[in-house]
Amino acid sequence: MSWKKVCAVAEVPENALEKFEIDGIEIIIANYGSGFRAFPPRCPHMEEPLCDSGVLFDGMLTCTKHLWQWDMATGERTGIAEKELLFYDVKQEGEDIYAHVEQALVYEDDDDDEEEEDDDDFFNAD
Amino acid sequence: MPARNHKQWTAKPDLELGEWVDSRIYSDEEIFEEELEKLWKKSWIALCHESELPEPYDFRTAIIAREPIIIVRGPDNKIRAFLNVCPHRGMTIERRPSGSFAPAQPSGNPKHMTCLFHAWQFDMKGNCVDIPRQKEGYQDRLDKSSQGLRALRCEVKYGGFVWVCLDDHTEFNVETWTAGAMDCIKDSIDAEPLELIHYHKAIIDCNYKLWHDTNSEFYHDYMHYHNRITGFNDEYFQRECSAFDNGHVNVGTFTVNYEEYDVAEDRGTLSFPNLPPDNWYMVDMFPGLNFNLRGSVVRMDLMTPLSANQVMIEFRGFGLKSDSAEDRAHRIQHHNSIWGPLGRNLHEDLIGVAGQGVTMTPKSEPRRILHGRHEGAYIHDEIGMRHFYETWGKKMDRLPSDPEQKYRPGKVVGPEMPPAKGLSTFAGKVA
Repeated sequence: MSWKKVCAVAEVPENALEKFEIDGIEIIIANYGSGFRAFPPRCPHMEEPLCDSGVLFDGMLTCTKHLWQWDMATGERTGIAEKELLFYDVKQEGEDIYAHVEQALVYEDDDDDEEEEDDDDFFNAD
Repeated sequence: MPARNHKQWTAKPDLELGEWVDSRIYSDEEIFEEELEKLWKKSWIALCHESELPEPYDFRTAIIAREPIIIVRGPDNKIRAFLNVCPHRGMTIERRPSGSFAPAQPSGNPKHMTCLFHAWQFDMKGNCVDIPRQKEGYQDRLDKSSQGLRALRCEVKYGGFVWVCLDDHTEFNVETWTAGAMDCIKDSIDAEPLELIHYHKAIIDCNYKLWHDTNSEFYHDYMHYHNRITGFNDEYFQRECSAFDNGHVNVGTFTVNYEEYDVAEDRGTLSFPNLPPDNWYMVDMFPGLNFNLRGSVVRMDLMTPLSANQVMIEFRGFGLKSDSAEDRAHRIQHHNSIWGPLGRNLHEDLIGVAGQGVTMTPKSEPRRILHGRHEGAYIHDEIGMRHFYETWGKKMDRLPSDPEQKYRPGKVVGPEMPPAKGLSTFAGKVA
């Protein structure tokens, strides 16, 4: 088990998104009022840095690039979001926040990165 | 001949078919539309140079026949061309003339083309990689795998120029399209990588072919004050014009006496590889592209017809990528002293075609435009223009001298003649 101390509670005021680095892994700690969440630093849609473009209000995280949203209390996507946010387990002990970080959580890349060579007959295909 | 009345003015000239054209080929809007379809959409056009997109994810935008085009360099370093049109709602995907997709974009993440309008997204191979709400909004009725960009035929060829053809089924590749016209400069521009050293553009109210004509006819050198008083030696007159398939022409070399140009410096030491010092070649590609190798610099003019009476001309200058800072500064000076916006030649050429544009606006009365000089295919022969308009006539199936009639062959080649005598004893004595 690798619970890692991330920061002091006082470093993440209510409705703040703060980025920290734990053993070379960047994570965001979000204070949504009734608790904390820990997740990777970029939006699962188009890699937008959520520390810059994310807005946390009324328990809802919104990426302002294309308005994807996640409910921080349930952790579920809502509105027009098409992908779930990945979370690290997080806990508060005294005045400190700990996250359970073993390796960086990464979003499955669904880009069709086709590696095959360009086809010479492409322009004559039906 | 005395001044003419209207009947005399509009009568056919006393020249043979092929030695003049009707000005409606420059002014008629229906003919212009037909040219876009039959000529511009069927030709290989060099739209830019590889040095304009040196890094992966760099791009350059252009237009052929009203079709917006984006040229991108992929992470595999391959240069590809696509229509710059989003398959969703027809938005221009990228509005900048050039730049890079490596950093994040206003509506998308790094290393992608993302349409600003509704965030449809594409990779550098033209694959559609993201349609917002594809599952929820289209319920699997539309899949991104069917929504890629329109890929265009694209080749990097002859000194690193990026050639694009809108016709998927063209019978030509770049080499067969150029049909030998580039052979005279190929060894010089292919010897080592070139790099863009100059760019400017002009939008002129004239038909694009008038700029072509100016590039392929040389006795307007009399309009160029500096050329007139310095350049006309015997060698100047011995240059030969050669015609190639598909309407191309090139003009052979001569040694330019730069020391006779007021304030110009000799270009011998900086002349291009495999080119005798201070030599000069010109290649004119059908329907609107021109390469000019003048000792130490290459110039490329690209015409983009905007309407029957408007053309955008982009002027590019090239040096060698390996240039030292000092050599590069000299090349830029060599380029600009002749061809820059305030150089010796270019603005005078623009005055010429802008004046023609005034007399050949759409619906203006048809006029005869003559190109009947025969001088043994030497420099002041108008064989280049006659060859161009014979090709134009065949591809358009219109008679250049009466565009409402179907094409029939005209006279291109005239009698054999010795080259004219130069003014070598005069040259350099007046400055």
